[in-house]
Amino acid sequence: MSLREFRLPDLGEGLTESDIVAWRISEGDAVELNQIIAEVETAKALVELPSPYTGVVAALHARAGETVSVGDPLVTFAVTPEDAPAVVTEPEDALEPNLVGYGARPEHSGRPVRRARRAPPDVPTHRDQPAPIMAPGERRERPRSTPPVRHLARQLGVDLEQLVGTGGEGLITRLDVEAAAERTRDSLADDAFTDDGPVTRIPIRGVRKHTAAAMVASAFTAPHVTVFHTIDVTRAFELATWVTESGGTKVSFLAIASRAVCLALSGHPELNSRWQQSTQEIVQYGYVNLGIAAATERGLVVPNIKDAGSLDLVGLAAALAELTAEARAGKAAPDRLTGGTFTITNIGVFGVEAGTPILNPGEAGILALGAAQRRPWEFEDGIALRQVMTLSLSFDHRVVDGEQGSRFLAELGNLLQVADEAVLR
Amino acid sequence: MSDLAPGTTTLGKALNRALFRALDDDPKVMVLGEDVGVLGGVYRITDGLQARFGANRVVDTPLAESAIIGTAIGLAFRGYRPVCEIQFDGFVYPAFDQIVSQLARMHARTNGAVTLPITIRIPVGGGIGSAEHHSDSPETLFVHTPGIRVVTAATPQDAHTLLRQAIACDDPVIFFEPKRRYHVKGEVDEEAAGLPMGAARIARPGDQVTLVTFGSLVPTALDAATAAADERISIEVIDLRSLSPIDFATIEASVRRTGHLVVAHEAPQTAGLGAEIAATITERCFTYLEAAPVRVTGHDIVYPPARLERHHVPDLDRILFGVDRVLGRVPARAELA
Amino acid sequence: MFLQLLDENGTRHASPEFDPLVADLTPQHLLGLYRDMVVVRRIDAEATALQRQGELALWPPLLGQEAAQIGSGRALRDDDFVFSSYREHAVAYTRGVALVDLLRVWRGVTASGWDPHEVGMATPQVIIGAQTLHATGYAMGIKNDGADSVAVTYFGDGAMSEGDVSEAMVFAASFQAPVVFFCQNNQWAISEPVTLQSRVDLADRATGFGIPSLRVDGNDVLAVTAATRAALARARAGEGPTFIEAVTYRMGPHTTADDPTRYRDSAELTEWQGRDPISRLAEYLRAAGVLDHDVDTRIAGEADAVAAELRAGCLALADPDALTIFDNVYAEPHHVLERQRAEYAHYLEGFAE
Repeated sequence: MSLREFRLPDLGEGLTESDIVAWRISEGDAVELNQIIAEVETAKALVELPSPYTGVVAALHARAGETVSVGDPLVTFAVTPEDAPAVVTEPEDALEPNLVGYGARPEHSGRPVRRARRAPPDVPTHRDQPAPIMAPGERRERPRSTPPVRHLARQLGVDLEQLVGTGGEGLITRLDVEAAAERTRDSLADDAFTDDGPVTRIPIRGVRKHTAAAMVASAFTAPHVTVFHTIDVTRAFELATWVTESGGTKVSFLAIASRAVCLALSGHPELNSRWQQSTQEIVQYGYVNLGIAAATERGLVVPNIKDAGSLDLVGLAAALAELTAEARAGKAAPDRLTGGTFTITNIGVFGVEAGTPILNPGEAGILALGAAQRRPWEFEDGIALRQVMTLSLSFDHRVVDGEQGSRFLAELGNLLQVADEAVLR
Repeated sequence: MSDLAPGTTTLGKALNRALFRALDDDPKVMVLGEDVGVLGGVYRITDGLQARFGANRVVDTPLAESAIIGTAIGLAFRGYRPVCEIQFDGFVYPAFDQIVSQLARMHARTNGAVTLPITIRIPVGGGIGSAEHHSDSPETLFVHTPGIRVVTAATPQDAHTLLRQAIACDDPVIFFEPKRRYHVKGEVDEEAAGLPMGAARIARPGDQVTLVTFGSLVPTALDAATAAADERISIEVIDLRSLSPIDFATIEASVRRTGHLVVAHEAPQTAGLGAEIAATITERCFTYLEAAPVRVTGHDIVYPPARLERHHVPDLDRILFGVDRVLGRVPARAELA
Repeated sequence: MFLQLLDENGTRHASPEFDPLVADLTPQHLLGLYRDMVVVRRIDAEATALQRQGELALWPPLLGQEAAQIGSGRALRDDDFVFSSYREHAVAYTRGVALVDLLRVWRGVTASGWDPHEVGMATPQVIIGAQTLHATGYAMGIKNDGADSVAVTYFGDGAMSEGDVSEAMVFAASFQAPVVFFCQNNQWAISEPVTLQSRVDLADRATGFGIPSLRVDGNDVLAVTAATRAALARARAGEGPTFIEAVTYRMGPHTTADDPTRYRDSAELTEWQGRDPISRLAEYLRAAGVLDHDVDTRIAGEADAVAAELRAGCLALADPDALTIFDNVYAEPHHVLERQRAEYAHYLEGFAE
């Protein structure tokens, strides 16, 4: 004996379901081929269903009054081999076995998925990161160019989004692309180098490629100025310890610094903005998406904490911990890595004092935290060994004046030196 | 049948309600066709209308498509507003002469004196596993004919609103109904003004690829966009709704953002609607295009037998293969021998 | 006129004009016609069941029209040519079409179940009435060739309203083509009664074109045979077209997707059951002592065997290879199609499993 399942066929030119009006058989009944087993009602007609097999009814899969979709199991028959004719199964039928009835077959059940293709796409999508989904109001038109020029830009590695076209109505011309490539070429001048000894070749791809492109775009578009401020951060470290021990969350210096940055930015919106060439606007963000530069196995990534300005110190510390863990595990979600408005880079962990960090594209300020070193420092009119740190702030001089940048850094330094719990909580 | 939330109905029933409202609102509206009266139509789209409005207004016609359209022209001359049904797409050809030689030209050849506000409803397209002549997609033949408007709907709401708009329109309108989707359910607000008859609808926003289609392939395109999201590709699906005229402004605005165009339809490729859209968008958006537009269509074959139709009608996989091509993820067609 | 040689009770009526045309039919011949009708009715029932079981996409049943199709089909010569609608399965049977070939198209695995030239019957026509023009043209060709075969076209009462049919009769009459217009008036075109298609007997419309016309009881296999033989003889003798209206009844639905209870009265069905083509011949043959219990059992067994063979053949019909959709679109090479075929083949090869 073998079991055969009978599924509801399409009973009339494109129907997708039928109602069981009445069963004419019960489980356990013996049935003959073509014996009427049920009455079903479709959108068009009341139809009698003849049994496709001679055998015994093993199971009924629907009750009278129920609606059944085309392709759903109706009856399982127990049949002897002689009574069970060979059903020709096609490879396609493997997807929906026994469904030979016709009509508007359901195209999928559950979430639509595509059938696996043998070879993955030859050429990677031209984004290494997925495109950010922008709100309708934000969706920009693409830079205008012509297909041959776009092809040239791809070949030369020029990003059209970074160019301003000199053709009619801002059209990016062949000359524009060649000029951009020229600038890149001049600065790199690869051909000028010969190797005098053994070398190791590392392909430029993935995160490094993207980061390099971002660096180039940033460094050669925005005029960078860096200002430095060396401060006593002993109180700040003490505060971090105090808050950690009194609460449950670990609060690090980085959390304190992040909080201070958010507070300082609220009074200095020019440091939390971007220069938008295409529309000739400076866009000041009304929120702080605070990026934290993180060194991972794959390279430098800058995930950001969304709306960091609305978090209190403990909340910020928790967000930082989550972000760091994600970044280390390589599991930062796509939108984590975009949309930042200001960045902190903690170069101090490597033991260095100061630096001239490069801005993250789309931002006007980046703060590098140097290593905290025990040094003799002026303290309460005397000299004491204090934790001393240099803050390095690079800013986009198109957007931020020297005065603005310096004032911001000074205020930030003050917040950290004083480390007033009431202020920083 | 099944329990439906209030305001939810099938596409077929939404059409039925549209006809009901049209007949109710305007005493000059008539419905004519084979089996539309007593039977209520082979797809039940005209169910109950004859009982409600009488056999003078909902007319079972003799079996003659040319005469259905030809007599409707005469009725329109007399001031009536006929809504004709051609039972299946493959049966419209006997009426092709009356449509193209007479209906489409009458306004022009009378110097605007005669208006023929006739609506011709035609169930269209395949995917229903049926015999020959029941699964055609002849829309291009009519789009190519000046003097008539051509529209189609993909959702119950659009089916309802567009049919009422078509009937109210003073130009002749061919209203293609995706028969494969008659049973699709959706919300319908009968009082909603809806988009203008000639407007396209953004069925799903996206920003990497513009996927333009209409009628029966809209749900397939939406499924393709959902599956594509798993590959981090963002597809914007545009439901044309109006095939003549085509709302190029909506397509253009989208392509200016995405730079990639895919057009999908069941009808064969050569001289299909995809060709018109690809050519026009190339003209208007040349400087925004990242790649040549791609068409995903039926092949240039006679519609195949039921067991083979899945190889002809574009499905999710073929649409996404077209998306792969436009994004440059597979070799260009020119590389094939 | 209304030609009837065997009434609904199985009583034979004399007709001086038409009796000679069936005088050669012995009781054994009649038993053969009876067997044919039983078998094709069984084929029809089995195909309907197969559709309900999801093995066929669609089936247009001929239930009730067995006499009209067997009587006329068996009268034809091998070199005659048939152009029919989609319901003439019994005619195809008489032309020698193999059982499973009757089903291929309805299963949806092919465009045509047989080669028209091998069978002498065109692939059944779905567009109503179109076949009448083809038959008329074929007959014009026969006439040009000086041959004496005949083109026979089958169509229904609904088709009489289509312009193609009127045009076919115009041409047939003008050119005196050797074509037989065989109209099965089964009273219904889906939900539309024949009174919607015509205010006069359908046979009378043909005379308006100058085509001699016969109106026969379509459920009387003798009358059908006689009328068909008369029409064929005329055509073979160069006397031009004939129109036969076979009055019958579509006992089943238009197709398996139709529900006749929505538009017709069950009383009408009961009335026509009383005129069943098979039972009246059974009555006659029993009275003639030709059809006894043993013969009945034998014939029932034959019908069962045919049904089983049909079913087995149907279930064994496999889907053709995908790329066959590109075959036979053109008789000569076509570069656009060849390229599309290559692209689609390439696409299919790209799937992982």
